[in-house]
This record gives sequence, structure tokens and C-alpha cells, in this order.
Amino acid sequence: MPRIPIIMPQLGESIAEATIVRLPFSVGADVEADQEIIEVETNKATMGVTTPCRGTLLELKVEMGKTYAVGTVLGYVEVSEEEAKRLGVGEATVESGPLKMDAGPSPTSRVTPVVHGLPVPANAAGIAYMSPRMKARMNELGLQQADLAGIAGSGAGGRVTIEDLEEFLYRIDEHKQSPASTMRVAVADAMRRSWTRPLATVGRPVRMDALLAHRKASTAKSGPALYALRALAIALGENSAPAGRLVGGKIVHPKAIDVGFAVEAEDGVLVPVLRNADAIPLSALLPRYDELVELARLRRLPVSAQGGSIATVTNFGTFGLTWATPIPLPEQTLVLGLGAGSVVPSWDKEKSQFVPVTEAQVTLSFDHRVLDGGAAGRLLRRIVELLQEPEKL
Amino acid sequence: MAITYLEAIREAQAKLLADDPRVFIYGQDVGSFGGAFKATKGLAKEFPGRVLDSPISEDAQVGVAIGAALEGMRPIVEMQFADFSTCGLNQIINHAATMFWRTNVKCPIVVRLPSGGTAGAGPFHSQSMEALYAHYPGLVVLNPATVEDAYSMLIAAVHIDDPVIFCEHKYLYYHLKAESLPTEALPVGKARVARPGRDATIVTYSAMLHEALACAEELAQDGWQIEVVDLRSVKPLDTDTILGSVARTGRLLVVGEAFPWGGVTAEVVARVATEGFGLLDAPPMRLNAKDTPVPYHPNLWGTHRPTARAIIGAMRELLHA
Amino acid sequence: MLQTSDFASVKPQTDTRCERYLGAFRWMLLARVFEEKLASLYRGGKVVGGVFLGKGQEALSAALGVSLRKGDIYAPLIRDAAGRFAFGETLLDAARTIVGSRLGPMRGREGNIHRGKPREGYYAMISHLGVMVSTVAGGLIARRFKGVKDVVGATCIGDGGTSTGSFHEGLNMAAVEKLPLVVVVANNQYAYSTPTSEQYACADLIDRAIGYGVRGHKVDGTDPQACFDVVGEAVARARSGEGPQMIVADLLRLVGHGEHDDAHYVNHALKVSPIGRDCLDVARTQITAAGWMTAVQMDALREQLQAEVESAFATALREPLPDPNLEDWRALSTESLAEGRA
Repeated sequence: MPRIPIIMPQLGESIAEATIVRLPFSVGADVEADQEIIEVETNKATMGVTTPCRGTLLELKVEMGKTYAVGTVLGYVEVSEEEAKRLGVGEATVESGPLKMDAGPSPTSRVTPVVHGLPVPANAAGIAYMSPRMKARMNELGLQQADLAGIAGSGAGGRVTIEDLEEFLYRIDEHKQSPASTMRVAVADAMRRSWTRPLATVGRPVRMDALLAHRKASTAKSGPALYALRALAIALGENSAPAGRLVGGKIVHPKAIDVGFAVEAEDGVLVPVLRNADAIPLSALLPRYDELVELARLRRLPVSAQGGSIATVTNFGTFGLTWATPIPLPEQTLVLGLGAGSVVPSWDKEKSQFVPVTEAQVTLSFDHRVLDGGAAGRLLRRIVELLQEPEKL
Repeated sequence: MAITYLEAIREAQAKLLADDPRVFIYGQDVGSFGGAFKATKGLAKEFPGRVLDSPISEDAQVGVAIGAALEGMRPIVEMQFADFSTCGLNQIINHAATMFWRTNVKCPIVVRLPSGGTAGAGPFHSQSMEALYAHYPGLVVLNPATVEDAYSMLIAAVHIDDPVIFCEHKYLYYHLKAESLPTEALPVGKARVARPGRDATIVTYSAMLHEALACAEELAQDGWQIEVVDLRSVKPLDTDTILGSVARTGRLLVVGEAFPWGGVTAEVVARVATEGFGLLDAPPMRLNAKDTPVPYHPNLWGTHRPTARAIIGAMRELLHA
Repeated sequence: MLQTSDFASVKPQTDTRCERYLGAFRWMLLARVFEEKLASLYRGGKVVGGVFLGKGQEALSAALGVSLRKGDIYAPLIRDAAGRFAFGETLLDAARTIVGSRLGPMRGREGNIHRGKPREGYYAMISHLGVMVSTVAGGLIARRFKGVKDVVGATCIGDGGTSTGSFHEGLNMAAVEKLPLVVVVANNQYAYSTPTSEQYACADLIDRAIGYGVRGHKVDGTDPQACFDVVGEAVARARSGEGPQMIVADLLRLVGHGEHDDAHYVNHALKVSPIGRDCLDVARTQITAAGWMTAVQMDALREQLQAEVESAFATALREPLPDPNLEDWRALSTESLAEGRA
């Protein structure tokens, strides 16, 4: 026969427990439905606990004068099947204790690193994601995100934590340190800003023989960099779109073909600008070019020759390099690079034999958001054509 | 000898009545009946004429307290439930709270609000009103979470020269016990670090303190060290202690039993975001009751308000953020 | 307090009835000239905020003011300039509050009719009607605790204010506690623009006294002598321990709700009915009939009071105004608990 529990009821708001003050029935007694079978006392009042159905008092689990929590099973009444069915009661006990805590998620369970309102970027390992606390500390120390690129994060999702940072700072303290020059810091800043974009580089060979011959024949001798600059200027004069900048959903086109060229100065690089270089022949550009190189080395560049250029030419060949991937200035989309020339065998179809030619590599590094490999390649091809026909420059 | 949170409130009032002839208690059923929750049990007999039954007139209860306070008394008004204090709201926020600023005369009243939810109490016997009162200038709003604070803060409240809203939690009345009454206490207005930690901070108050401590205990098994700050006083809000804790941990979860819009948890987050943004390692989180009236059935009620389990869930998110 | 020396020019009178009448009359007249000046300043842009006048209610208001003593509690409402002065408010404090002087009791933090000095038993009303009933009751409970006998607390309200829950709660609890409370209801026929027909459905507000279990007193608010007698009696009954007293005075508000209100909605029939009388006109008639003062003496008194009012406003207007940079932005008296003063 079903056993129906007698439960300590909630005897008032906020009442947590009650004390047994009277047990008028003994085990074995017959009890009626809704009859008070246990008397309890709370801070507020004395009240009777009832049984929901008729039956026999089977068990009493309480002692006089003792206090029991709300929801405690105080005893059992045995009732007939019909009675239990009629009243819809069974042995199931009630949920009790609002503070009762579930086991909760197991300690090993993984939690997706997401916070309402601001998701932590996926794969935000390392210094890619910085909390306000990290940013505040880095501002305090004058650090840039890139300075911490080498720290392996130990935080959530591989993030660099403040502890990681402090540990890193502690460790570098053991090294010799020297202040970076103003120029170095400025270049670093420009490169860091530029590097926020997806940059790509294409390259191809250019035959330098015609150019060298042209140079030899000229009275005023331009360096290969100026030839390259002039070629780039003419090519962009024909189609300036590749030098456009992407801002939001728009391409911002250049107003004039002002082209810069890299000059190594002490502990850095300066980029003087030749204005309207597409409209001025090589020979006419040369005196200004030479003047600006000199001024740049002295770090005395006039304001008129600074900034506002749409692309840059860099002759890394002067360092004996044949190939490089220069980084465009942050405000530019393009940088044209010129490698060192060398004499190489070239198959001459007409003669059916190898002949010596002077060849160099030209590279074009660009903001891949603005142009793709095809457009970059076409621009570079046009530049090469022009360099191989120097009389047109 | 164990003493409950409720008994501490009764004992505090007994001490106040015994020590200070200016103190009297005014409320519904507080006299010979001893109050709906027995917070004034036996006091009417022990202090004849000083524990007065009022009509069911919350507005007048507060009005009487204001008038008496102007004449130098230290009245304690018992609202039968915090929920009913809305019927006396006008007197509290427009009259008592403005008195000192307007007239330069102090208005030292204490309004006791039996606050917060208990199983089966439903929409009109469960509310947490602290945010409403804290919004108004001129009030002090206290939310003791421990037996010790219930006792010492009520005594302190009566000694404060300004109107005090004393939010005592009904769930803690009988559930919370201490060995004895305290002999010393933190000053009112100071928050307390209830459990030190390193990985994240839970700022909370009143009954939610115990849910937060249960959460911290559970997460300690996984090696997390959760700091728990008990605000004690909602207004003034001890921003320094909160910021100090966040500076240690970098992560903040604010838990309150009140409704979610605005309120104490929002205020804490706003202050940390404005004054301590650079201390944060993750966006601060809030956990409140749901934006519905408080439900009647325990199945709904247990989900409506934050529980230790819900806090653990939120905290795991925060720790991995 | 009464400044009896002001009556030196008045014909010597040993009759206390005369003395009492003329004392109250002086406050009525002072309130009238004060408010005329106030209206003029308002129109001249010298008053910030609203101006609410008690024209037509001076007799009732003064009657309560002179019936109270030092040590009593008085919570006036918006049309009680006469009662306020009679209870002891100085002209200068009234003027300072109105112009916002930093030296006044409200220091520019509160204005116009919200002035008071609670420490002197002169409570500062808030705008929410009815709340002062239980507040005065609370003050009286405090006196009872302190064993102070022979005390009365009084508050004023209008016909509209009797519709609030606060009024009901306050009067009911005062009756339960049998407090020496006097509630004076000036039934001036309009609550702002709402006529009494839309305010209550009982035959007469005085009927409510029975419901509350308090003694009711009905009086013609335009008749100064009746006001002095009835209010005086009610205050005396309260003082002698007979519990709360409720006075309902019928009269007509002779001005708009405030000076911004032209009161075009006031029924003309009421204006020409007996309750439309100006209590100051009635007072002049009563004084003349009794032979207590001549018209010339009354005119002279008016001129003298006008000079006092001018002087008070002139002083107040010369005083420093509140300064946000000097203001102590703190709503709590307990400095250590005050937040956000920046």
C-alpha cells in the first residue's frame, strides 16, 4: 500500500523551520484526511500539520521539542490504493530548500569564452585582444601592442594577461637596454600603422642594359632609382587607380602624381617627394632629386618636399639586395622596390645562344585591399616596359 | 547560544529602546502582537507605550516619524513588508529625504523594510526596494547580510542624523544564525571583503551574499579564487572598496536580487566602468532577478532570482572572458 | 509674535475681545499688503517661481495663527501668510525666501510658500497635499513622549487636499491616537480650477468629521469674528485634551490659484454670494461698528504696514543670492555618508 509522507509545511513567509510541540497520535493510529496529526510551533504561531488522506500512521520520524526544517519528511501515513489514487498523492517527495544547490557544471567542462555584449574574438591568442587593464598598463609604460608580440599568453583563449606582461617586463630588465632614436621611433610608428593592412608583394625581372646605356650617354647622370620613379610616375599618370586608398566603402583617388623616394638617413629612412613627377622629364627632375637627397641626408627637408606623396620608390639594390618586400607608408598603397642588377645569361632566340644581359628585380608591394595580384602585375609590367625604353622617360 | 538574523534585529531594537528614551517603534501589528515577523516580540510589554500599533497607513506612519524626528525623537517605522513602503513612498522621498537640505533641520528616522523574496511569497511580499530609495538624494540605504550587521547596523542607523532605509532580508530572518551578538562593527558606509580572492570579484549585498559565497566555495574546488565584497550599505556606496577589489582581480560580477533595470548592480558597474575602466580584464557583468514581477511558485521563484548556481554559470563565463 | 507696541496709535482699549480682534486684524492686513507687494514684484520679474496668494482667506488664516502659542506646532499651507505672521514668522524671513536670499531660512534652496522653521514648531510644507497632517501628528506624539502637556498642533488644507489619501491617513491616525490636532479646511470652492462638485460628493466636508471620529466645526470664513471665535474654540478644545478638531470654513478664493492664473473659471454667482465677500471689508465694517478703530486709523495702520513690507523686501533684495560655487551640495547632514558632492 502507498506510503504518503507527512511534510513540514511552509508555515508563513520566511519561516525556515518549526519545533514539534505535540504528537497526539501514536504509530498505528488511524487518521482522517485533513486531520491535524502533529502540532508545531514557529516564532510566529502554533499550528497543526495535517495529513492529506485517511490511513494509518505508519511512522513518525520526529522527536518532541526538536526543530525541523521546512520540507522535512516528518513521518509516513499508509493509505489504500483507492485513497491515494482518489487524492492524487503518491510517494514522490516535494522539492525543498530553495538554497539547495545543484552540482553545477563539472570542473572539467569547457566554457565558451563569451561575455554578453562584447565577445572575445575567436583565436585571440597573444596580444591580439587587450583588456582595458592591459591597455591602461601599456599606456602607462608607453608600450605598443607590437612590442608585446613575442609574449605567449597564458590567459583565456591564449590572451596575454597582466601577469604575463609583468613577467615579460621583469625578464627584459635583465638585458642591456638603450634608448631608441626619435627617427627610429617615428619609423617604427609608421611601419606599425602600415602593417595594420594586408600587404602583398609581386616582382619581376627588368633588363637594365638600355637604361645603363641611356645613363652612360646622358650628361647629367640619374641613378636607377630616379628612372624607376619616373617610370612609376608615368604609369600612374596613365592610370592612377592602383594608387588609390580604400577608406570605408570608397576608393580615394590621388589628386596629383607626387612620388616619394626613400633616402637612408642616420638610424632611419626619409621620403622626400617629387611633385607632378608624371609631367616632368627625367632630365628636368634630376637637379631637384639630387638636392632633396642631400637635404634628406642632412635631415633638412623643406616642408614642400614632405608628405602627400601617393607612392614611394626604394632602391634596396644599393645595399646589394636583389629582392625585398618593402612596406608602403601608412598613407600610401604602393611601394616600388628596385634590386641590385647583375649580369646573367639570357637566351637570344635570333642568335640561338645565351647572351649576357644586365638584369634586376623590381618589386611592387601593395595594399591588397585596393588591388589584387593582376592589377599589381599589370602596373609592374608597364613600369618594366618603360624602364626598358629609357628614352621615353 | 545561536541567535538568528531576526532575533538580532529584535535585540537591536530592545537595546535602542533601553538605551535611548528618544527611540520608539511605530508600525502595523508591532505592539502586543510583536510584528508580522516577530521582530518586535515582547518589546511592547518590556517598553510600555513605546511600541505603537499604527493603522494600515504607511503614508501616515512615515509622516508621524518625520514629525516626531523634527521634535527630537528617533522613531523606527516598521513596514510590514518592503513592498508596502510604496504606499509611504511620498513621505519618504519627498518629505523625509528633502528635510535637511530644505530646512537645515535633521530628520533622523529609520524605516525598516522586510525585503526580498521567500518561497511562495509572490509579487507583493518579495520585493527588494533599495534601488528605488537609493535613487533619491537625502536617504541612507542599508542592506545588512549578516546577523552581526543586522544588529550593529540597525543600532548605527538609529544614531544616524538622516533618514535611513533599513532593508532587512526576510529570507535571512530564520535561515541565518550566529553564535552571539557582535561587540564591534565596521562603520556604516564601508563595504566588507567577505572572502578574499584573486581571479574575479563578486560585488553583492543582502541575501545574495550567501549565494555568492556558495559560488566562491564551489569554484574554489576548481582552483579559482573568487573575492566576494558585501556592500552592506547601498547608499552610500563604498566605491573605494569595490575598486580596490577589482584592481586585485580585474574581473567584476555584480549580483543583486532586485529587478534588472538600473539599480544597484548597474550603479556599481557604471562606477567601475567610469572610475576603474583600466582595472578591467573583461567586460563587467551583472546578474539580477528577471524583469517580471516576483513569481509565486518556488519553481518559478527559484529561477527568477539569482541563485548560487546561476552565479556560478555567470562566473564561469566571466573567468573565461 | 504680536508686536503690541504697533498699536500705540490705536485708541486705548482694555476689552480683551477688542484686543484679540485688532491683533488678528493687524496680521490680516499685513498679509494683504505683503501679498499685494508680492504680486507687484512678481509682475516686475523680481520673484523666481510661482506666487500664490491668500486673498479672501486672511481671516481664517489669522484666526488660527493667533489661537496658537509659542511651543505649539503649526504647518500652514499655501494661502496662510496671515497665519504665518501671526505664528511668529518675521516679514524679513518671508521676503528673503521669496527673493531667494542666502541669509533666509531656506537659503535659496526652497522658495515661496515652502518656507518654515521646523525647530520653532513652524513646519515647512511640501507640495504633496495632506502629508502635513500626519507630520504634525508625529510632532504631537513626540510632545506626548516628552510629557509636554498643553500643546496643540495645527495644519491647514483646502477642499482639494481633503481628497488625498494622505489627509485621510493622517486624520484617521490622529483620531486613533486622540492627539491635540486641529485641521483647518479652507473650502475656497476651487482646487486650482476644479469646483467642489467635482472634488467630493458629500453634502458638506464637515460631515467627514463624524466618519473620522473627530469634532467638527463649521464657520463662515468671510466673517473674521466668527473665525476668531470658532477657531479659538477648536484650538482650546484640542488643548484641553478633547482630541482632534476639524474646522471647515466656507469662503471663496478671491485670486487665481497662483498669480499666473486669471481664474476665469470661477462662477460669477459665487463671487456675488455671501461667501464671495472680502473678509478684510467685513473686518473694517465690524471694527467700525464696534467703534474700535476709525477708518482713518485703519488707513494709517495700512500705510504703516506697507512701509514695513517695503523695508523688508528692500533689505532682502540687497542680500546675497545663493551661489552654486559656495553651495554645500549635500543632502545628508552626516558628512561622512554623503555621496558625490563634486
